[in-house]
Order: sequence, then structure tokens, then C-alpha cells
Amino acid sequence: MEETGLIFDIQGHSVHDGPGSRTLVFLSGCPLRCEWCSNPEGMELRQRIRFREKNCVTLKQDCTRCADACPYNAITFNRDNEIPLEIDRQLCRNCDSLDCAKACLKEALIISGKKMTVTELMTILNRDRQFWGPEGGVSFTGGEPLFQKRFIIQVLQKCCEAYLHTVIETSAYVETEHFLKAMSMIEFAFIDLKHMDPEKHKEKTGVSNKLIHKNIKALANSNWPGRLIIRMPIIENFNDSEENILATASFLKEVGLDEINILPFHRLGDSKWTQLGLTYPYRDYKEPPAEKMEYIQQLFLDQNLACYNGYRTPF
Amino acid sequence: MSKTLADILQEKGIPISFEYGGKSPDEMVSREIQKEPTPRAKKMRDLYFDTLSSATVEFPYWYTRKYEELEHEIPVVRRAEALKCAFSHLTPTIWPGELLVMGKTRYYRGSFPLPWLSEGYFMAREDELYQSALAKGGASADEVTKWGAGGGNVTEDFGNVVSIAGKFGIRNEEVPALLRLARSWVGKSVDDLSNKYERLVPEYEIKENIMRSVICMFDSGYTLPQGREVTNYYYPLQYGFGGIIDIAKEKIDEVAGEADGDGIIGMDRLYFYQAVITVLEGIQNWILNYAKEARRLAGLTDDAAQKKEYEDIAERLEWISTNPPRTFREALQLTYTTHIAILNEDAISGLSPGRLGQVLYPFWEQDMEAGRITEAETLELLECHRVKFTCIDCFASAGVVGGVLSGNTFNNLSMGGLTKDGQPATNGLEMLILEAAMTCETPQPTLSVLYDDKLPEDFLLKAVECNKTGTGYPAWMNFRGGVEFIHDQYQDEGMTLEEARAWAIGGCLETSPGAWHELTLNGKKYSIPGGAGQPTSVGVHFISNPKVLECVLFNGHDHRTGIQVYPKHNKKLETYEELWEVYKEYYELTVDALCKCNNIQHDIWRKQNMGVFHSMLKPDCLDKGHHIGNLGYRYNATYNVESCGTANMVNSLAALKKLVYDEEKYTLDEMKEAILANFGFKTAEEIGSYSLGLQEKKAGGEEFDEIHSDCLMAPKHGNADPYVDAILKDYEDWFCKMCRDYYSLYARPLYACQISVSTHGPQGASTLATPDGRLAGTTFADASMSAYPGTDRNGPYALFSSATCWDHSQSQNSQMNLKVHPSAIKGLEGSRKLLDLTRSYMRNGGFHIQYNIVDSKVLKDAQKHPENYRDLLVRVAGFTQYWVELGKHIQDEVISRTEYEAI
Repeated sequence: MEETGLIFDIQGHSVHDGPGSRTLVFLSGCPLRCEWCSNPEGMELRQRIRFREKNCVTLKQDCTRCADACPYNAITFNRDNEIPLEIDRQLCRNCDSLDCAKACLKEALIISGKKMTVTELMTILNRDRQFWGPEGGVSFTGGEPLFQKRFIIQVLQKCCEAYLHTVIETSAYVETEHFLKAMSMIEFAFIDLKHMDPEKHKEKTGVSNKLIHKNIKALANSNWPGRLIIRMPIIENFNDSEENILATASFLKEVGLDEINILPFHRLGDSKWTQLGLTYPYRDYKEPPAEKMEYIQQLFLDQNLACYNGYRTPF
Repeated sequence: MSKTLADILQEKGIPISFEYGGKSPDEMVSREIQKEPTPRAKKMRDLYFDTLSSATVEFPYWYTRKYEELEHEIPVVRRAEALKCAFSHLTPTIWPGELLVMGKTRYYRGSFPLPWLSEGYFMAREDELYQSALAKGGASADEVTKWGAGGGNVTEDFGNVVSIAGKFGIRNEEVPALLRLARSWVGKSVDDLSNKYERLVPEYEIKENIMRSVICMFDSGYTLPQGREVTNYYYPLQYGFGGIIDIAKEKIDEVAGEADGDGIIGMDRLYFYQAVITVLEGIQNWILNYAKEARRLAGLTDDAAQKKEYEDIAERLEWISTNPPRTFREALQLTYTTHIAILNEDAISGLSPGRLGQVLYPFWEQDMEAGRITEAETLELLECHRVKFTCIDCFASAGVVGGVLSGNTFNNLSMGGLTKDGQPATNGLEMLILEAAMTCETPQPTLSVLYDDKLPEDFLLKAVECNKTGTGYPAWMNFRGGVEFIHDQYQDEGMTLEEARAWAIGGCLETSPGAWHELTLNGKKYSIPGGAGQPTSVGVHFISNPKVLECVLFNGHDHRTGIQVYPKHNKKLETYEELWEVYKEYYELTVDALCKCNNIQHDIWRKQNMGVFHSMLKPDCLDKGHHIGNLGYRYNATYNVESCGTANMVNSLAALKKLVYDEEKYTLDEMKEAILANFGFKTAEEIGSYSLGLQEKKAGGEEFDEIHSDCLMAPKHGNADPYVDAILKDYEDWFCKMCRDYYSLYARPLYACQISVSTHGPQGASTLATPDGRLAGTTFADASMSAYPGTDRNGPYALFSSATCWDHSQSQNSQMNLKVHPSAIKGLEGSRKLLDLTRSYMRNGGFHIQYNIVDSKVLKDAQKHPENYRDLLVRVAGFTQYWVELGKHIQDEVISRTEYEAI
């Protein structure tokens, strides 16, 4: 039976997430709850209502279309506020009909997440591949792209049949059997190592890193022919200590990996947290300074590991 | 010791072989590639920045004086004599530091009116002639054109300078002479004479309505009757002007008194050859006057180096006034002189030098081998060449020069493509032409790469690097697509596959036929390409596709002017099919009326005002003894039908189909009511911006919110949505074929030309709101394949997919403009990916793509503070122009184009 998946974005002409020019597919649903997450709309496996307050004309035009459409009375107005519209996220069921977003004429309420069949997704990929160039392909990210298990397996099988080059950006926090099956159809992988200490990892992401380490080892010990690059978001005062960097380096060496890509924390996802009615825990955090990134890069280099800084991974 | 990444990669055997190492800077909001010209070129360019567009009546005075003396002469000789007299009397001016010399007039940035084409529009503002010109339909485009007020434009009188045609300054004391000259052409100019006969066309009244309502932008025959074509330098390069005179003399011996079995125009050959000799004598005088001036200046200077330069200039000019060039320097000067001479002969925009790097290569190659020139010297010369080309101004009415051209002259230089025998045609000189375009950024000559999969990667990557300067050139054209179009279009005139490969871009992106000639230099033979066809973008100019749809919806009535443009169709438009049928009927009526009237204009032009010098340059006039008007050119099926606003029309049809016909959410009357109410918004004029995003709501305009939202959310072009793509494909299949049902004065079928140049500004300004949600008066989508700003929400692949849903080789061109944020294409990797993107569009059948690589924030700041951005260049639609010289309509549109930034 053909599977249907939930996808919250597809971006054509991505040039930083794998070789060549690619199409990036964002799959919904993630077992982790990283506090710095830049795609919060992809955390849960359901459609979400995003509220873009700049577009709302409640005050200017006395528009109440969304509230009128909501069957659960989840939308109310407080006209004393600069932005009068309030969504009670407790009352909001993120219902299937999403009448409020349909009623909005200004795209102030938009639905994040679209259901797509495997065939529908493949139609888009087969269209885009005409424009990728010789090295391009598809990159799956999310959310956690392996979270929708049956869907991603079917999609990967179709990609293999269509000779598409596949890249995945995964947390590797999925059952080992499923992980290895999926990876057997992947040619290039980025796997995140957010912290080496299981407790600290759990503190900021909600899960322990043990399964992740197990899966990376299992992959490294298999005969998987693909290329694996570890990715590490650098978050100051969380994982940027020399101790953690060196621990990460020893892990790579122990497993037999050569490459790591460090990415500076950024706040580009901030507005999306707000639009979802959430508070971004990292709102006031700053991007690590360039010198810090270079320092960490050098630490890895001195450990004889190929470390790429930011979007400078060679493909 | 610390290890470097490169060491580790090598040690680990990670298979990566490129320049990695973080050389490119972190933040790149400004453009990545920034280079500087040589001091000499910089000085010449600075001079340009400080110079205003200036007009003078010197040329028209001597031309008119001689023409009036020769009332008894037959037209071609009379015209040649007038041209000779004018050329012989032009005051030569040489600026210190110039390596290449000569110009249209004595001014650095000079041009002149040509009242024998049309005299009405540059008359003094108070003059009754001017008033009557305004009352004529053809002047309506002037009223809706907004000139860029910065840069070298003279939009207002100051001091002793009077502004004419909205752009040029003329010395006050020359104005009475200008008026006297203009008056002498009343009733005699191509405009006046053709109007007399145009009126006899039964559809004349419809045509006038079409012009007044700005459904069509311009008349063709007297505005810019030549151009959008590739010229040919072969004969002067091979024979020299003296040699051509000898050929003409021999030919006279052959043809004098011979009818050539024709009985109609065979006898004309004698007069043509006589005219060629006459006009060449005038051009020789003109060149020698410059040589004299150089000698005079050499005698005045104490600076030995400058003296030597003047003497070299004099020697070069004296030599090339008669003889074929021996060196690259002479050949470059000769091609430039030839170019300017053509431009002085007629009102021309878009005269392209063609594949100049391939034309001049023989001279450069032999100079390099002999050590007569170095790469550095070549680069300096090519930089000077850019400045000289940028100084070229084109004189026509405000509507034509501002509204269509944005002051640009489109001297488009093509590179790449294949040779006669199908091999890559690029060479070392083309690499230097690209380099000079980066070191000395100027609007002219703009560059085009004729892309072919066989072209060498280093050339293509250098072209990408040039794109990254942000100047917008080179544009990318599909070489094989062009070959298919050319081969198909001119096969009836004997076009072969080999010859089709000689094509190049004329004007901004008009695919133009060419020919190969064998040039012999010091015993070595070279095959060089050059133009071989008539002008293109002549015939039916710029039909506003959304405006035709508006007339369909309102029963042929134009609400802006109150004119009943077309006969009422009186149909209820109950089905989409019926709407589409009426659309096609109105469109065909438009093409028919415009084609007939323009044929008459061009016929008067060819009888009274034919090119003599330009005719002689192109095959096969010199062989056949016939000028352009007597079908002397090898390829004559060059007349076209231009369209504008395709994306808005397609989106509007999609919205009507969905909302009115398929879903029946609104009636057609409700839709029309919303359009007339401008969806509850103020007009663009009121708020002073022509960009959709900046429009403001009228008080109480909310009642149209729902319908406006539905119109905006209806399927849009550029998203690979089959619903819209099918409409585009239907339109293209019909349009490209329909054009061929109409014939030019040369009895050849027309074809489709799909570029907007700058007409999407003024034509948008005169169109009501459209069913796609676009508001009244706002600028249309640019080009023909670009999406309407902000409506392509699925990235460039989806846009490309929509754009290539039809066969581009059925049309002379199509046009895709993309704005790319500089950060998206950083470094060599970024260059490669931009090349991948370009290549992918070409491989999928796209004909043309060009990039504006600039941060929108920079453009917004430039709009606020033009004084800080005198040298900012941007790409508009097929051409590059200084930001400050663009009209506001177009500035707004460029800012609002969708920007692609991959993060």
C-alpha cells in the first residue's frame, strides 16, 4: 500500500546540504526536543497553525474571520493588545479541517505541514532532477527524516529505483534495525552529535545519546559504502568546552570516522517559535564568535580529524 | 605543529580536489567580485559620469541643407549625398587619454534628432506642432513613461540648456535652428508621409485606438526603423573603405543600363552603387577630419607620451580611412568607426557588434604572435572600448527612449556559440573581453553568452564570475535553441545548418541571422561570423497581453481613456473557452491593424530613408547591387510581433478559469466590479509606487478583500502547477503560430518575440487591476518567463519547469530574469552551482536567463540616496543600466523581483 507522509517544506536549489544543487525535503516529526531547534514546526507529526502577526488585519479592518470559523472557540481577541488575536493552544486541536487558516484572507494564519503520497513526492523530485546538474540529488531533513518509518522507506526505495542521489541529515535516534535499513539506501549522511555526555544531552534534547552512539557505531561497522560526516551545532556554554570537543574527537576516532562539520548556532528559527505560540528558549543566545569557531575547528584538526567550519563542507 | 585541513584531506585520501580553504569572506551582502579599471579607462569613465546627454543640430543641419538642394535626385542618391555632406561637416573632438576615438557628435555623450524620420515630438513645448503630436495616438506612451531623473539624463531645463525629448540637453541657441529644421520636414518626414497613407488602411481607426489606450507601445517605421540586429564588419576589415569603393566602381561598369532580367528594380543597382561610393566618401572625410584634429593636438602638447598617442591615432585613422586594417588596434578602431557611422545614418537602438571577439580574433592572434601587443595592452584597449560604447546615446521620443529602452542602446556583444563546423567558437580574446567587462563595469556593450554544452568550462566559469560583479551581464542564451529557430525561420531564404550557427544576439535578446565570411590576413584564412539579416523587433511592437484581456472583459472598452477600442463582441463569456476565443479574436485584430499600418510606415522608410552605408555592410547588398529596401540582405523574414505582460495574462486567465468558470465562486460581473474598484485599493499614481507590495487600501475597501485574496491565491505561473502551465502552453502554441499568419512588407511571415524590455512599466501603468490580483497601474511581471514578483513560491526548479512547458524554438526568444542574493553563490562552489543552474535551464529548453546578483537592501537604499550610487549597475530586461538612470516604475519592479537565496 502506498504510504502518505507529512512534509513541512520542500526547497529547490539548496546548495549547502550535500553535493551539487539539491532539493531539500523537510519531514515532520522528531523524537528530540532540542531547545535551540530552528525548525520547531517540524517537531510534531501533525499539521500546525502558524500565526504571522504582521499580516493580521484584525485591528485595521476589524476582521474576525478566523475566530468565526473555528469550531472550538480557540481564537479570541483582546483589542487592548498591539496584536489582538490570541490562539489558545490548549483549545486548538490542530484539527484536520483547519478552517481558521482557510478563512484568513491575508495568509496571517497558515498551515504548516502538507500530506503527500510517495508518488506525489516523487513527482516533484523527478521534476526537480531535470535542473539539479550532474552532482545534485535529494536531501532529507526535518524534523527527523527517519521518524515516519514506513513512508521514508518507501520513498528511499523509489529514489533507488529512479537512480536519485540521496543525502540524509538525521539525529540517528531511531531503532537500529530501521536505521540500518534506511541507511542502506542512502549515499551520504550527516549525523548530529550534540553532546558526548548522556545526561547533558538529555537535559537539552530530551533524550539520551546512547542510541545515537550505538547507531553510528553500527553503521561504521557495517559495510555501508556511503560517506558520513558528523555534524555538531556549536552552542556556547553547552557543548563548546574543550573537554567535550576532545571527547567528540575521541569518539570519531574510536569509530573510525574522519570528518566533522561544526555549525554555529543561529536564531533564524526564532519567529517560527512565536508563530506556533511557543517561547523560544534560545531567544537571547548569541551566535558563537568566528574566533571561537576557528578555535574549535583547530582543536579537531589537531586531533587529525577533517573539520569543516560552517557551510564550507567540501562535497 | 598544527595541521591544516588540506593536509588531513590528503592524508585520509578523501577524494576532494578543489580550492577549499575559506578564502571567500564570511559575509557577502555586497557583490562578491569587484575589480578596478586601468587608470586610463577609469579617467574616461569618470568623464562619462560627469557628462550629460547632449544633443546638437550639426548633423541634421548639413543633412537637411544638402537634401533640400537635391530635390531633383532619385531618393537613394539624394540620401547618400545628404549623408556625405553631414559626415563631412561633423566637428571632430578628441579627449586627452583616448586610445579609441570618434563619436556620434562633438560631445562626449552626444546625439542628434533625425527630423526626416519624425519631426513632431522634439519641437519646442509651446509649439503647435508639439501639441498636435501629443494629440496623436502615438504620443500616448510618452505620457505614461517615467524617466529616471538621475545620472546623465537632462529632464529639466537649466542655465543655457533646454531639455528635449525628456532626456537630452541642447544649447539654447540651437533651439531656433532645431525648430527651423523640424518645420522643414513637416509633411515630408517618414512619420508624416506614412501617416497620410496609413489612414487609408480600413483598420486605421482601431490602430489609433490601440495606440491611445497603450495596448501597443509604439509605431515602428519612423521610431527606430533599424536595430535589434547584428551588423557586419567583414567588408571594411577585408577590403577597407577604399577597396569597397573600387568594388562599387567595378560593379557600376557591370550593371549600368542592365535590367538583370527583372524589369522593376534591376535598373536600381546602378544608383545604389553610386550611392555607396558617395556615402563612403563622406565617411572617409569624417575619419580624416579626426586625423587632422589628432595632428593638430599633437602639435599643441609638450607631453611626449601624449604627443605620440595623438600621432598614432592620426596614423591609424589615415590608414583605415582607405585601407584594410593590419593590426588589432586598427581593426578595433575601424569596427568602432563603422559602428558609429551606422548609428549616425538612422535612428537605431540595439545595433549589436555581434561576436566581436571572434571577428577581431585574426588580428589579435597575429599581433600576439608577433609581439605587437600584450594581454595587458589589449585589456586597456577593451576597457576604453567599453567606455566609448557606453557614451553612445540614441535619440528618439521620450516614450521610445525612456519607456522601452530606459535610455539603453543595446549594443549587445555575443560570445561563445559554435563555429561553422560545430566546434566551440570561444577564444583568448573573448576571455579578455569578459575580463574587461569586470574591470571596467559599464552598461555597454552588454554581453551575451551563446551557451552550448561544448563550450569550455573555464570560459563558462569566467562568465559566471562576471555575473557575480552584479552588472547582470553576460546574459545566457541557448545556442542550439537559437540555431533551431534560425534554421526554421529562414529556411525559405536558403538558410543552412552551417549558416544558422553564425547567429548572434541583436539588441537585448533578439536572435538574429548571420553568415560566415572568409577573411584573409597575411595569407592566413579565418572564418568570421557577422550579421546577414534585416532589423528585428520591427513590425508589431509590444502588445500588452493583460490589456487585451481587459478589453475582452469590458466588451472592447478602455476605462482609462473612455475609448471603445475594439468593436463590441457582445458575448456573455459564459464559458472559459468562449472567453479564450474572444481573446484570440481581439488579439488577431490588433496584430492585423498594427501590421498593416506599420508595413506602410516601413515601406515609406525604405523608399525615402533606406540605409545606404548599413546596407552596403551586410551580405549580399554589395554583391546584388540592392539596398535593404530592395531585399539586398540575405535574410528578410525578420519582422516580429512583440508581447508584454505574459505572466500576468496567464495568471489572470488561470484565476478567471478557476474562480469564475470551474468553481463558480464569483460571477464574471462580480469580478469586473472588483477590477473597476481596484479591489478596494488606492491607485498607484496616488501613492507614488508601482510595486504591488506597497499599494494602500482605500477607506472602506474591505468589501473586496475576499475576492482579492482568492485572486491572489489562485494558481500562478512559476510553480510547476499543471493548471497554469497548460494555459501558458495553449497560449504559446497559439501565439507563435498566429504570428506567422501575418506578413511584413517584404512578404515574409512574422514571428513571435517575447521580451518586455521596459514596457512592462508604462503598459502596466495604463492597465486596470487584473484578475490575478495585480492592482491598477502597477508594473507587470518583467520579461516573459519570469514569475510575477512574489508568486513563485516553490523555488527556481518549479519556475524553470513551468517556463519550459512549451517549445521555445518556436519563438525568436523568451526571457527569464532571476534575482539572486550574493550570499547564495559565494566562492568557486557557488559559481559552479550558478553554472549548474544556468545549464539546467538551457538543457531543458529554456532560451534565455539572466541574473541580478544584488541585495534588495542595497537597491532600496539606492532609491533613497541616488547620489551615493552613481556607478551602481543593475540588470533590467535584456540590458544593464545605471540604477540612477532607470525610471521609477522599473526601479520598483527590480526591487520586488523574487530573490533566491539558498540557506
